[in-house]
Formats: sequence, structure tokens, C-alpha cells
Amino acid sequence: MQLDFKQRELTLKLVYYGPALSGKTTNLQAIHELIAPEARGRLMTLETKDDRTLFFDLLPLSLVAGRGLQIRVKLFTVPGQVIHNATRRLVLQGADGVAFIADSQRAEANANKAAFVNLRQNLVENGLDPARMPLVIQFNKRDMPDVRTDAEVDQMAQKGREPVYKAVALRGQGVIETLVGLFNITWRRLDEDHQLGEKFGVDGAQLLADVKQKLSPRRHAREAAR
Amino acid sequence: MTAEFDLAMGEVARLEDVVDRRALAEVCRTFFELFSISVRVFSREGSLLADAHEEQEVCRYVNTLGDGRRACSRIVSDVKRLDPEGEAVSHSCFTGAEYRVVPLHYQGRRLGRFVIGPYVPAEMREVPRSLLVIDSRVDAETARAALHEMPRVRRETVERIGHHFSRVLDLILFSGHRAYLTSNMHIASVRESYRELVDKNSKLQDAYDKLKELDRLKSNFLATMSHELRTPLTSIIGYSDMLEAGIGGDLNEEQTEFVGTIRQKGEHLLALITSLLDMNKLEQGTMRLNRKHLDVRVLVTDLQKTLTPSALKKGVQLVTEIEPEIGNVFVDPVRINQVLFNLAENALKFTPKGGTVRFTARATEFAKDADDFGASMFDLVETAVEIGIIDSGIGIAKDEQNKIFDAFYQVDGSSTREHGGTGLGLSIVKRIVDAHGGKVRVESEPGHGAAFLITLPRDASFE
Repeated sequence: MQLDFKQRELTLKLVYYGPALSGKTTNLQAIHELIAPEARGRLMTLETKDDRTLFFDLLPLSLVAGRGLQIRVKLFTVPGQVIHNATRRLVLQGADGVAFIADSQRAEANANKAAFVNLRQNLVENGLDPARMPLVIQFNKRDMPDVRTDAEVDQMAQKGREPVYKAVALRGQGVIETLVGLFNITWRRLDEDHQLGEKFGVDGAQLLADVKQKLSPRRHAREAAR
Repeated sequence: MTAEFDLAMGEVARLEDVVDRRALAEVCRTFFELFSISVRVFSREGSLLADAHEEQEVCRYVNTLGDGRRACSRIVSDVKRLDPEGEAVSHSCFTGAEYRVVPLHYQGRRLGRFVIGPYVPAEMREVPRSLLVIDSRVDAETARAALHEMPRVRRETVERIGHHFSRVLDLILFSGHRAYLTSNMHIASVRESYRELVDKNSKLQDAYDKLKELDRLKSNFLATMSHELRTPLTSIIGYSDMLEAGIGGDLNEEQTEFVGTIRQKGEHLLALITSLLDMNKLEQGTMRLNRKHLDVRVLVTDLQKTLTPSALKKGVQLVTEIEPEIGNVFVDPVRINQVLFNLAENALKFTPKGGTVRFTARATEFAKDADDFGASMFDLVETAVEIGIIDSGIGIAKDEQNKIFDAFYQVDGSSTREHGGTGLGLSIVKRIVDAHGGKVRVESEPGHGAAFLITLPRDASFE
């Protein structure tokens, strides 16, 4: 998080984490596609020719909320491949919130688990407390064959305290909900820790409503996607 | 704000950090070629990053006049100071010309601005009065003519040009930013991986140190235990000897046989413990060699003589093949005899009745680190002697050949194996030969016997 009281500007870092090929980059692409151009910058993918997401993807969002508070959100993805752990740890540095993108396919259960364990390890190594890190979980690829059923996902969601979302990122379903959900819990945690609402003189509930509205999908993009 | 922080946030703090200056200059130049309007790009702090311009006729004219020059420089510094936050702004000059100042935003941050102009708005018809009165010496005709030279463009068009130019700059910034992040991320990743490796290395080093310490403790334990075991064993053997010799009274035949077995097994145990001690000394490097020049022919012939009785008993033929003029080696006779005897006994043990064991000796050359680069190129060779003990027994499988010199290794590790032994013999052989600066190797095809070949340097100078 980065605060600039003079400019009335708040910058947040949200990281999309998860196993290789779970759809982290696809989430960012869908967000880029769905929200209004004035609210987002270009999607930057740092990759080499032969490798999928060698470094990371970066999508900057720029939201003006009530009373002139400028909120800049930087969305990052980490490289999912096991060997890129050093990069993953670097990208996780200074994260304010994490969206864990899990693959719904049954065959990927172990990959999800390994990536989650890795997330916890890397948080600890970066001096971040996993218990206090705002986290949402997205079960992506709901349209694939042999996935965990909705009932199973709901049951898992009840067990944990993290918000769980279901998504088909390739079709843009569930990605905005995941982002808004992550923004909400991240704001609440930072507000609790740093009294952001008080310092900036903004009403938290109103701000969240504003942000939700700013992030809501454009009608035409939605139709174009269909 | 630290550089690490910028990297973690993917932030651009300064335009000049990420923008490719040459690309920027090129864009300015082509812009000027296309529109004939000057353009200048400034950083957030106001330093000029790139430009393409030409002095206008009217500017040159007013600068020849004292008041004109002062008014002109005032305008220029006013334009330079303009730093619009949101929208672009236009600024007029007393000549009627205009400048357009457009802010540069990137990822929601203002990083700098660019200035287009001067140009004459196409909407302007007359030479403005402000130009005519700026200096008492202004000549209306000259001013009109000079002003006419200046590029004329409609305000709406200038806005569009400005918009386009900021899109182009945004693209240059984006690709510059990406290259900047990629290279910095690359460096950071390499550094992070290096840190991980250093971490792992130090853990490995710790584990290695611990193992070494354990090994030392084991050696000490062995040394102490062997010594402690030997003391009572000497008594057992001694008293069995006395019993067998009838010193304690006559024994019947069965009793003599039993006592004989006790003594025999006691001696076997003693030999075993002595081997362990030898092994330990060799491991710790505390065994001292008492080297002498020995005739190889005598060495090998003696070996044959010593083994002849047991060979006859087993029905195995012994053959020696010694090159004429074989000469001497410089070795510890006791230790080398121990080596040869050990190998020869093994050979005999593994050769079936009717088989042959050959003892060979030939002159050879020896490179201490023959595998090392340059050892042969620089002729780092020494004359040596190779002694072979070659049997026609069961042979040794390829994958076993490397392991047989390890302590306690038995090719047949089962408790019911046909051939006895402690598994220490060959490892002691190897250590003694190593201590001489020599080499021992085995050549074997399973079922076709085994050849143990010992190469010993002729003198110790090569150690």
C-alpha cells in the first residue's frame, strides 16, 4: 500500500496467485476487457518468447471514489510454474490482498494444494502474516468436464472463512465479482489497520459502493463477449 | 520511495527512468517533419527530454528589438512554467502565435508534459496590435511578412494533433516501462535465486561438517574398541595355546580338537580386529610407510612360494609371468606383501579346482592424475611397475567392480554366502596402495575370472 495524502491518492497491490494454467492471466485479460477504458491502463505481460508468463502480468486500475479520493489498484499475476519460485516471491512482496485462482478440475486438486502451501510459505518469507492477509478464493474453469460440483465448492466455502467465487474467466464470468470481493476485504483490513476512511475523510460503505460501480462490466463489452 | 518498492508495485517514478530517449527524439523529429510545428517534451521536474524545433521568422525579428527580446523571453519562461494537471491548456504570445501544453499521464500519474508550438491559429486574420506595440521600432510590413512564414493551423486540429501525440508517447512509455520492469525483475530474480542457493549451500556445508565429525567419532570409537577387544583376546588365545600344549594337564583327543578350534577362531578374530585397526590408521592417515627398494622379481616369486602349499591342497595351478629386467620398486615391504598376499588368497579362494592363478609383473608408465587435463600432454608420467594377480574364478560383475574396494562391501551380502571374509580386505588393499601413491584396479568378465592390477611408482618422488 502506498498513501499520498497531498494528492489524496491510495495505491493498492493485489496479487493473483495459483497453480500453473489455472487462469490468472485470463482473469486479468477479462477484467481488462470488461471494465471501462478510463478505469484501467494497458495490460502488461512480461514474458519471454518460449515461456508462459515468465515474470508476471500487470494491470493498473485507476478509480476515483467519493470526495476526490483517487484509488490506484495494481493487479499482478505470479508465474505458476514451480521453478519460478524466486519470481513468485518477489511479485508477492508488498501485496495488500491475494486472489487465489484454483483450478476446479478434480485432476488439479494436488496442484491447487501445492500452490496454496507455496503461497503461505512465500508470504511468511516476505514477512507477511498469512492469517492477516486478505484472501479470496476463486474456483475457475467451472465449464470444464470433471470438475468439483457446485455443492462440493459450497461445502468447502463453508469450511473456510475466505470468500469463495466460482468463475469461467475465459468467458468473463465471476472475475469482476472476485475482484470486487477482494477489493472489499482488502479495504476493510487496511481501514482497520490504518484508519484509512478517517484519514481520507471518506465513508467506507459509500467508497465500496462507488468502487463496485466503477468496476461493473460495461454493457457493450458484455454483449461483445457473447 | 525505494527502487525495490517501485519494482514491487510496478511503479514508474520518473519519466526519464523508463522512456527510450532515442525513440522519443525520433518521434519528435517525425512530428516536426509532418506538421512543421515545434515540439518539446519535459519531465515532471521540467527538464527537457527531447525536442524538434526551428526558430520562426517572427521570433527572430522580435528578438532583434530590445523590448521584443525581453517580452519573448518572458513568454518562453511562462510557457515553460505551465504544468496543467488535468486537461491541456493553450497559451498565447503577443505575436498572436499560440503554444499548447499537454500533460503526460501514465497509470494514473502525471509524469511530465509536452509543448506544441508556436503556431498561428488559422482563425487569426490580422496582425495583432500587441505585436505592433511591443517595441517602438516594429515595422508593420516586416512583422506581417514574418508572421506569414509561421505554420498556420486550426485550433481544433492542434487539439487532435496533441491528442495523437500523447497516445504515441503513451505507447513509448508503455514499452519502455515493460522493458524496465523486465530487466529489473530479471536481475531481482537472479539475485533471489542466488540467495536461495547460498542458503542451501550453507545448509549442505553444515550437514557435511556434521558428517565429518561423526566419521571422526566413529574412527575414534573403532580404534578404542579394537584395542579393548584385543586385550582379552590375547588371554583367550594364550590360555588355549597352553591348554593345547598340555601345560594344564593331558587332554583327550576331543578336548584337544575343541581347544584347537577355540584358538583358531580366536586368531581369526584377532586378525579381523587388526584389520579394523589398520583400516582406521589408513583412514586417519596415521599409518607410516617404511619404504625400501625391493626387487619385483623377488617380491612376486616369494608370493608364489608362500602360496604353493595351499594351492596344491586346493588343486589350483600357480603361474608367474615376470618381464626380464623388471627392476625395483620403492615400497614398504610389510604392507605391500600384505596387499599381494591378500589379493592372492582371494584369487585362490575364488578359483575352482583345476583352475589357474597367474602372478604377473611388467614395467609400465604411470600418470598420477591420468584423467586430469594435460597430464599426458605435458608428459607428467613416471615409470612404474604393474603387478597382476589374475584368477580363473567366478569373476566380478561390472556394476560391482567400483564397490568392491569400499569397506565392508561383499559382492554376496547374504549371511549364507559361499565365500567367507570380513569385507575389509580389498578396502585395506586400496588404501595401502593409495598410501604408496599407486593405483589398484580390477578387470573382469563374470565367469571368466578377475584380474587385480596394482600399479606402483618406482620411487616416491611423484607423491
